[in-house]
Amino acid sequence: MAGKSSSTPATYAPSVSGQKKRRPLIQADSDWVRPDGRSFHQCRPAFLRTGAVNSASGSAYAEFGNTKVIVSVFGPRESKKAMMYSDTGRLNCNVTYTTFATPLRGQPPETKDLSSMLHKALEGAIILKSFPKTTVDVFALVLESGGSDLPVITTCASLALADAGIMLYDMVASVSVSCLGKNLLIDPVSEEESYQDGSLVITCMPSRNEVTQMTVTGEWSTPKIHEAMQLCLDACSKLGKIMRSCLKDAASVPQD
Amino acid sequence: MAATGGPNDLSSEMELDAFRRLFPLRFHERHLTESIRPDGRPLGKARETTLALGAVASAHGSALAKIGCTTMLAAIKMEVMTPTVETPDEGGIAIDFHMPPICSPLVRPGRPAELAPVISKQLSDTILSSGMIDLKELCLVSGKAAWMAYLDIYCLDADGALFDAALLSAVAAFSHLQIPVVSLNDDGRVVLVSEDNTVAMKEKEPVNKERIKLTLNNIPFSLTCVLHKNYILADPTSEEESIMETFLTVVLDSSFQLVSLNKPGGPGLAHTSAIQDCIKLTRQRVKELQKILNEAISDMEVD
Amino acid sequence: MVGLSLGEQNFIKGGIAQDLRTDGRKRISYRPIFVETGVIPQASGSARVKLGGTDVIASVKAELGRPAPSHPDQGKVSINVDCSPIAEPTFEGRGGEELSTELSSALQRCLLGGKSGAGAGIDLSSLSIVQGKHCWDLYIEGLVVSSDGNLLDALGAAIKAALANTAIPKAQVAASALPDDEPEIDVSDEEFLQFDTTSVPVIITLTKVGRHYIVDATTEEESQMSSAISISINRQGRICGLTKRGGAGLDPSIILDMISVAKHVSEQLINKLDSEIAAAEACDDEDDEMDS
Repeated sequence: MAGKSSSTPATYAPSVSGQKKRRPLIQADSDWVRPDGRSFHQCRPAFLRTGAVNSASGSAYAEFGNTKVIVSVFGPRESKKAMMYSDTGRLNCNVTYTTFATPLRGQPPETKDLSSMLHKALEGAIILKSFPKTTVDVFALVLESGGSDLPVITTCASLALADAGIMLYDMVASVSVSCLGKNLLIDPVSEEESYQDGSLVITCMPSRNEVTQMTVTGEWSTPKIHEAMQLCLDACSKLGKIMRSCLKDAASVPQD
Repeated sequence: MAATGGPNDLSSEMELDAFRRLFPLRFHERHLTESIRPDGRPLGKARETTLALGAVASAHGSALAKIGCTTMLAAIKMEVMTPTVETPDEGGIAIDFHMPPICSPLVRPGRPAELAPVISKQLSDTILSSGMIDLKELCLVSGKAAWMAYLDIYCLDADGALFDAALLSAVAAFSHLQIPVVSLNDDGRVVLVSEDNTVAMKEKEPVNKERIKLTLNNIPFSLTCVLHKNYILADPTSEEESIMETFLTVVLDSSFQLVSLNKPGGPGLAHTSAIQDCIKLTRQRVKELQKILNEAISDMEVD
Repeated sequence: MVGLSLGEQNFIKGGIAQDLRTDGRKRISYRPIFVETGVIPQASGSARVKLGGTDVIASVKAELGRPAPSHPDQGKVSINVDCSPIAEPTFEGRGGEELSTELSSALQRCLLGGKSGAGAGIDLSSLSIVQGKHCWDLYIEGLVVSSDGNLLDALGAAIKAALANTAIPKAQVAASALPDDEPEIDVSDEEFLQFDTTSVPVIITLTKVGRHYIVDATTEEESQMSSAISISINRQGRICGLTKRGGAGLDPSIILDMISVAKHVSEQLINKLDSEIAAAEACDDEDDEMDS
């Protein structure tokens, strides 16, 4: 449509010739084959590292397969002048995408929604009373979006908060599950997310066994929700252990 | 102002960190007289520089450059455009430099950094005028289709000498760039030739089979120096940049021809001899950077 | 914001603990629901729902549009909520913006189902006219006129009622000579299609105050909450969406317990709402006949 000499930014990304859409048919009884060859209940290998950005109070880098995220934490610093006095601290979250994060250039998902979801996932874990009158800024940049973006951002943000020395009740780990036909897939990639019938995201504090944020879309029966929640919670506690060991490693390396 | 007053006697009693914060200029000048900088570097030496190619899988070419703590991520995405009537056999390059809120405490969402558009303009001027890329190589079908290379550079950590790091990541991303093989379909639209359906598409010859790598001639490299009194400090950190405010950026290409020289005002005036010294420093730096780039490319090829 | 004294706060909390709330309700009983349909004649469908002091209006507008390339055989639905400054002084200026986006995204999550379209309360494929070329776009607007807590449930009910009230004109494809030509659409202004709303879920928000949770909280009660969960449930008792609000964490077993309570409550609410909608529709039709 846009290929002919039309409007001003007349560029397009060439698509694969021949096939127009690749939309697998998911039969009710057939199993989905994961594009990266994982089993249904297997998460992608996670790489976590703190201290990615030197000029921030705290920061972390997280890489889950192709999903790559950097989160910087600034503060606690003075709240905006327009803000009224508050005897508890404020949390400000912002999520942005790079232009090359998504397969098609410059089509990032709705970041306003992501920012408020990140805020809700984190606020329950932060001891806001410990920094009255001030604001902690949590900024996330998605370098590459490869699926399960929000859980990765949340996990990474929690590490960055710990790295910044902000007082937390517990670490926050987040995992999502996609429902495709009859299969439950943990830690879905982009392709799986675009075909999913439903999704369930849980953000929890593993050692306190408390859920700070939970969203469900699509149609679910109660037993299926039970199963998916258990799957997420188990993965969260495993992820929590990885996060802890990452922080321990960072603390044991002498800082120069 | 207070620095000229009585800190002489104070400085002996004060803790180092407090002195650094309260009298930053004196702190730095005292180092300069000893010909050393707070991070232990001699005046003319740049920070440790690393380069990693292919950091972003979703882009056609990408590179991560680190100079000290300053980190830049550059990625190129290729899209197809119809060339303009004036230049029917040339493609285009669009360069954008971003400073997201994560990179510095000074940048906040909704209030973009003032520096970003300045560096963005400087980068595209330098890259387009250096002649590094022959825009004719980006042509697919004369007058019909050509490549538009979208180069986006993100500053992940801002700690001084942003332009140098950004330029390094940009040229590295171009040297990593792998142009996808495409062919024209019946509607005159450019489509990708994927490996599995080449047999089916036999009748449509790929239009750019031999041109999946760009030839880069005269690669530009740069060095930013801070001029303060008689001192020249190569590759300043953000702390040094905030205290001493006269900069000079020299861009030389790989055969040491001057591409650009930029002294954006500042309180200090530069002697011509100082400029020559800066150029000398840049010549050395270009040799270093060239070596780093070549190593990164050969590392990539081994993988 | 509600400024409550410590005594008032304790009164509310104590009442909830003893299963007798300040307005005499039990923990899991709703305030009386009042539904009126066809309140906005210009819209394709509209409804007003009053739930105690909470008053919301929802309108549905159908327009011809192009289907998204990723789903050529489906129509599009957008849900948008506006919090009027009439409802509360804090909504003035940009104050209501955050709440508006929160409510809109929660409604989208609860009503529109998964990305593949499974579990959607609104059957998107019924909005298709010509595959890949023409479809109906539904613009659902919610307006908060007065706010006394439990906005999400009220908006969910109002949207369900507005959809029941929605009549989409019958669209016929004029036969064209060439198959490649843009098909022309004849929009009938006499024949209308009724929208099937049996699968539209209801939203139930359980608000946790102290150790107990209540349904249909008022603003005063909401100010005492530690967290809340909004669950959308359809007639078959299946969960179509879930959102958690409020900062404090919840034990997973409590969430499961809340889901089963919500399921129980949903049956009554769906029946109540359906009879209210039917009564309002009948009333609306009578008015039409009187007019003509």
